[in-house]
Amino acid sequence: MSLLEVKNLRVTFATETGPVEAVRGVSFSLGRERLGIVGESGSGKTMTGRSVLRLIRPPGRIEADAMSFDGVDLMAASEREMRALRGNRIGMVMQDPKYSLNPVMNVGEQLTEGLRRRDRIGRTEARAKAIAALEAVQIRDPERVMAAYPHELSGGMGQRVMIAMMLIPEPDLLIADEPTSALDVTVQAEVLAILDGLVRDRGMGLIFISHDLRLVGRFCDRILVMYKGKVVEELEAKNLAQAQHPYTQGLLNCLPRIGGARGPLPGLDRSGDWAKEGA
Amino acid sequence: MMTTATASGTALIEIKDLTVTYRSKGREVRAVEGVSLQVAARQSYGLVGESGSGKSTILRAICDLAPVTGGSIRIAGEALEDPRGTDFSRQVQMVFQDPYASLHPRHTIDRTLSEPLAIHGIKGSDQKVMQALQDVGLPTSFRFRYPHQLSGGQRQRVAIARALMLEPKILLLDEPTSALDASVQAEVLNLLNRLREERGLTFLMVSHDLAVIDHMCDRVLVMQHGRAVEELSRDDLAEAKMTTAYARSLFEASADRMLA
Ligand SMILES: Nc1ncnc2c1ncn2[C@@H]1O[C@H](COP(=O)(O)OP(=O)(O)OP(=O)(O)O)[C@@H](O)[C@H]1O
Ligand SMILES: Nc1ncnc2c1ncn2[C@@H]1O[C@H](COP(=O)(O)OP(=O)(O)OP(=O)(O)O)[C@@H](O)[C@H]1O
Ligand SMILES: [Mg+2]
Ligand SMILES: [Mg+2]
Repeated sequence: MSLLEVKNLRVTFATETGPVEAVRGVSFSLGRERLGIVGESGSGKTMTGRSVLRLIRPPGRIEADAMSFDGVDLMAASEREMRALRGNRIGMVMQDPKYSLNPVMNVGEQLTEGLRRRDRIGRTEARAKAIAALEAVQIRDPERVMAAYPHELSGGMGQRVMIAMMLIPEPDLLIADEPTSALDVTVQAEVLAILDGLVRDRGMGLIFISHDLRLVGRFCDRILVMYKGKVVEELEAKNLAQAQHPYTQGLLNCLPRIGGARGPLPGLDRSGDWAKEGA
Repeated sequence: MMTTATASGTALIEIKDLTVTYRSKGREVRAVEGVSLQVAARQSYGLVGESGSGKSTILRAICDLAPVTGGSIRIAGEALEDPRGTDFSRQVQMVFQDPYASLHPRHTIDRTLSEPLAIHGIKGSDQKVMQALQDVGLPTSFRFRYPHQLSGGQRQRVAIARALMLEPKILLLDEPTSALDASVQAEVLNLLNRLREERGLTFLMVSHDLAVIDHMCDRVLVMQHGRAVEELSRDDLAEAKMTTAYARSLFEASADRMLA
């Protein structure tokens, strides 16, 4: 049985100028695997991820024919049940980590809070676990970072703190929204190795939202491609280069390469029928 | 070191032995330690390296947003005034790494983009705001939205549009396209290169994507742990002529983005 099942998910925002349909009928299922979501900026990737945790603020509204996680009906669950899932069995690494962390609490307090409350472990042990989690994500100076506030972190340090925080409770499902976009390639490789290990050894399910096609292509098992609120293509990651949809093909074409030509990069041709509103 | 801008006086941006030290609660964090670099007018210069190595701090120091404790920064041969005057913002604009934090949450996009013009008494704001949105590929209907009503990449594009409003000579770009899909990234990089050509702009830009750096920059400085490790020309980068182990490790971990 799959870990997460999403059927015909829709997210709509009421605005002064009428409804904005951010997600328009997305369906997918996730096993204990690495599922990549790529797609246009503004195509609804973040809203899809947040919907699973029912973290859409009004005036946004979620509708779905079905959305279930390990037997729990996420559409019917009470707010209390959702709170118990969030950050415990389901973690989410937010796209704006520094903004999502608590600005007035230092990193150490944020990392150990859950451990002390949920797992009822003592201060010293919680602290040791937190430091180990920071070391695992290649933080150079974990003692200093424990005492730091979010605004004192670099972009990539904020991402790594957020990843460490989400991994401490050993979730069954991790939704990672652009989790490595601010990491240099060598640190990124270490972080990916951790995520990979959790999927393989612990059977965690991973939703990996990213704009980095080459990264998703080599790291994930399966890829969903989103455009204007819909999934327009689903494929095995290893077949990314053979993508059929004109949007996916176009994306692959726009990428710069080391040692490549310096002239203008090819743009995406949006004149086809596939790109029309409501397509 | 071979550079095209070493003869002093010809560099538009000249950073010498820059040291930045943050102090918080009795701790000192040496974020940048003795870094020097020079960028000639109309050049594009890249900063790459370890997460936390001080790249953003260098850009922030130029804007007087970081505690410089040593060294000097000159623009067009002149030491910068403290605090930076209004002339500075017409000459130098920065696109921050974190677009959420850099946009005012209660200001509409229209206000965010038109405010710099108003401050400098520049007319024709309506027209310029529409043009700026179009330049970064956003529908003009987004004018009356607030930052929280935009996706991450849409916010990033607003931040780029804002930096262009005053037609600065120097752009400091901190990961300007890391939140954008490949097609919007291509459009933004093409726009930046076109502006550089047409308006004679100078760029100092940070990116973790060596393919973006290679496409955009004439030279690149590799950083690790607050220090400059190695400076490379674009050809050295493409031909893997780095001499330090760290620069090589970055290059080798980027194997998926080399020209086949
Ligand atoms: N509060 C809101 N009101 C109106 N529209 C909104 C609101 N929040 C988000 N949107 C719109 O919903 C759409 C989907 O946003 P989402 O954040 O899911 O995009 P995304 O695929 O994650 O994009 P990116 O890659 O740029 O982060 C966007 O077009 C955005 O403008
Ligand atoms: N306000 C601050 N107070 C204390 N330390 C800070 C502050 N801002 C940054 N630092 C520290 O300075 C160092 C350099 O940070 P910086 O943001 O320049 O790194 P970076 O190279 O841009 O990294 P990334 O690629 O992750 O964005 C980090 O160790 C960071 O924790
Ligand atoms: Mg997003
Ligand atoms: Mg940075």
